[in-house]
Amino acid sequence: MLIKTRESNNVVIFDIEGEIRRSESMQTTLHNLVKSHLDRGRRNVLLNLEGVEFIDSFGVGEILASYISTQNLGGKLKLCRISKKLLLIFQITMLTKVLDIQEDCEGALESFDKA
Amino acid sequence: MANGRLEKFLNRFADVRGHEAHAALYLSGFFFLITFTFYIIKPVKESFLIGINPAWWPYADLATALLIGFVVALNVRLLNRLPRRIYISTSLLFFIGSLLVFWYAFDVYLKSLVSTPVADSSGGIFFVWLPLAIIKAGTVPVFVFSFWSDVFIAMSVTQFWIAVNDVFDPYQGKRLVGLFVTGGLFGGIAGSSVAALMVFAKLISAGNLLLLCPVILLFALMMVNLVYAEQKQLRETAGAEVDPVQAGARVGYWKSFLAVKRSRYLLLLAATLASAMVVGSLINFQFKFAVKSVFPDTNDRTFFVSVFFLAILVVSTVFHLATTGRILRSFGIGWALLVAPVLLLAGSLSVFLVSAGALLAWASLVRGGDKLFDNTISQSVRELLYIPVPSDIKYRAKIFIDMFVNKFATGLGAGLYWGLYRLSGFAYKDEVAKVREIGILVVVFLCLWIALTRAVYAEYPAVLKKDIRRKWAEGDKLIRDNVDVDLTRDVFDALQSRERSTTLYLMNVFDLVRKNNLTPGLKEVLGIKQDELRARSIDSLFDVGGEVLFQSLDEAIVDKEFASEIDLIFLLPSYQEVMGKRLAKDAGSASEVDRMDAAKLIGLMVRSPETLRYLERFLQDPSPEVVTYALRSAAVHRRVEHVPLIILQLGNPLTALEAQGTLTDYGPGIEEELKSALGDKSEALEVRRSIPVVLARFGTQRSADILLDEIARRREDVEPELIDALYKIRADRPEVRFRDKIVRPEILFLIEKSYAIVLNAPGRAPGDAPADLTSEAKAALDIKIKRVFDLMTLLHPPEDIVKACQNILQGTRKSVDYSLSLLDDLLDRELKALFFPLIEDLPPEERILRMKKAMRLK
Repeated sequence: MLIKTRESNNVVIFDIEGEIRRSESMQTTLHNLVKSHLDRGRRNVLLNLEGVEFIDSFGVGEILASYISTQNLGGKLKLCRISKKLLLIFQITMLTKVLDIQEDCEGALESFDKA
Repeated sequence: MANGRLEKFLNRFADVRGHEAHAALYLSGFFFLITFTFYIIKPVKESFLIGINPAWWPYADLATALLIGFVVALNVRLLNRLPRRIYISTSLLFFIGSLLVFWYAFDVYLKSLVSTPVADSSGGIFFVWLPLAIIKAGTVPVFVFSFWSDVFIAMSVTQFWIAVNDVFDPYQGKRLVGLFVTGGLFGGIAGSSVAALMVFAKLISAGNLLLLCPVILLFALMMVNLVYAEQKQLRETAGAEVDPVQAGARVGYWKSFLAVKRSRYLLLLAATLASAMVVGSLINFQFKFAVKSVFPDTNDRTFFVSVFFLAILVVSTVFHLATTGRILRSFGIGWALLVAPVLLLAGSLSVFLVSAGALLAWASLVRGGDKLFDNTISQSVRELLYIPVPSDIKYRAKIFIDMFVNKFATGLGAGLYWGLYRLSGFAYKDEVAKVREIGILVVVFLCLWIALTRAVYAEYPAVLKKDIRRKWAEGDKLIRDNVDVDLTRDVFDALQSRERSTTLYLMNVFDLVRKNNLTPGLKEVLGIKQDELRARSIDSLFDVGGEVLFQSLDEAIVDKEFASEIDLIFLLPSYQEVMGKRLAKDAGSASEVDRMDAAKLIGLMVRSPETLRYLERFLQDPSPEVVTYALRSAAVHRRVEHVPLIILQLGNPLTALEAQGTLTDYGPGIEEELKSALGDKSEALEVRRSIPVVLARFGTQRSADILLDEIARRREDVEPELIDALYKIRADRPEVRFRDKIVRPEILFLIEKSYAIVLNAPGRAPGDAPADLTSEAKAALDIKIKRVFDLMTLLHPPEDIVKACQNILQGTRKSVDYSLSLLDDLLDRELKALFFPLIEDLPPEERILRMKKAMRLK
């Protein structure tokens, strides 16, 4: 898994590529990355999952942990460009009730301002 | 005066901040001029009233009580129809005009002359001065004037506080109330001094004093118009931040009454004020008897009463400047409310020890005390109690309570005096006896006042809290309420395992079946197909004796009996034996998938020394996937000897979440093991950071105690996790207790660390001018402040603290002020002094000054 970080209009965007799975070795986890930005005062987080082919239970745990950390500080965490198959699984498991999933990232960025 | 100099000057009287200075000055000036006028009118009125027969005294107050309702109705109508500025200006113009009329009437009364047309023998008409019997007759002008002056002061003071509420929000009001009350006090001193000096020097008679008042009121008219003009300008330039001044709210008199009737809080406020007014009215009658017995002459009386009010006001000013703010800051509104009734009770009880010679001195002291408290602390606190009431109700209620209830209660006092006078044969008693009999009634109503004060204060926090709402919900709670996390995990595991191992895949599917979670939608997503299953999976699991048990697995999966049948099969000794062999084969396999199968399988098997030995091996497997399945199986068997291995996995970010879940499934029985690991500095940091999460999920008293003991050790590397865990326990388990003697020092310690962020800002050397914090420093400070709030939830109502925290960190200016008011009510003096400089919106220089002062006091 590869995570690139950028900022736009007060939103930290994590462009994630590859698979978010337990067996993938990485320097730091997604949740730790999100927390480090929250510690620096960022409150708006966008996960761009366009390049994500697969998520296992570990990956879902990371996304939910990131959501909790952001929400508890009064911030917002959103997802964008998720694949149709993943979206279906998210819907069946009711994750869409808490996770704000947007079709495209530009719209997601705008929705932070509207909120 | 430039803004900075003006602010500095005004800060001698109250905590005034830059943008507030002009409005605060104008409003304070307005109040000054109102009270200036009133304290010229008042000694004239009192002197005239004392001069008439004591049997007639109560009629003045009764007349006010009966007629004030009509005035209130008219006042409400004006408030309904007119914009505020025009409403107040119109009222002032009316009072100016009527003062001139009264002056004319009293001037005629005193001079006993009026011009009247007379014809001479030539038919020419000219005017001569003749006595006017009608105006001289009885006490009618005195009563009318008395009623008018009551209306004047009630309306003017109400209008002043309405203007204050228009311009400032609750916390601003609390900060500035000292300035306003000071303005009023100085106005009263000026009025009394002018009245006393001019009568004493015989420069002017008592009636002609009234001519000064219209001039003063014209200046008051100017002041209030300046305030509203400035607010209009601010609205036009600053936009949404400044609340618009309400044009006349559509409030009927009946609705004013209903607004009070519907609110328990407002009813209690009204009742408290009423009992205070009854006390004041009765004390006033005691005072009148004492003065009348010593000063029979009108001008002497006017002089004495002027000097009396002057003395009251001077003492009030000194008391107010030295004490009111301090009492409010140090003891809060609750105790401040009790100062007046308790001290008056002591004074009133002493009447039974007073002799005739000391009666005037005693009466002056008690009445003086009543007026002193009314001018200062009681007035300040009463107005503060109004501020958190929603504005749409506040204006309706204020008119009714301040004007109608106030005067009605005074009338009630007059009625009680009237009844006592008639029934007790006052005309035949000496002054001391009269004063003592009235004193009994005073004591009764003082006790009622005290009881009502406690009741009002008990309701105050609830009223305040209605204006503060949560800005956001906790993430954990949102997930708990909306997502089945275990199901989600099982679905994703099943999806992942489908690619890697059919056996693993089926075991995951059967987990879903067992939990009755295999919905049609899930089946489709998991791609459960009849043919595929039959062909590939059945043999691998159900190959018992070579027979295929299920012809159609797809149909079987929808059968609720299926789960029970699977369980029965798993328990068969023959199945256990087969799986045991499979386990032995896979355990040593180099294939990660085989070991995953085996680790998962252990969770389905009956516990035996062999299975547990394999489980122990898998818990230390180099593959995080294998460890994950082993952790799930460990959660099934829950062997204490595996706990240290599971704790180790807390240190691996790939398995930490799973390990936390497994330890949670073990339950509170492993608290001591967790405590040891938490306190062991040689243990990996990530392990020690994960343990509080598990203890928070246990949520027992023992878990809370372990976390508190650890936090007392002040190990900063795990501090955030400890505080987070304690906060969660507090939120979910209200029955758990937290020791104040541990929590409080930690709160103070965190505040000190927050001070260090501000005082030791990078790049700032001692002696440098303070500057705003960098964004990183601000972020670090915000996080520290949130942790202070999290710890405060352990000692105070958690929901109140959370709301205050969220609004202070992200609220509007108004909600921040309400939150500060709430905290002001909740926290003790030391905590407030230390914490408020961190959370109030202060200029950097002011913030640092207050921090240093707070640290000195600590």
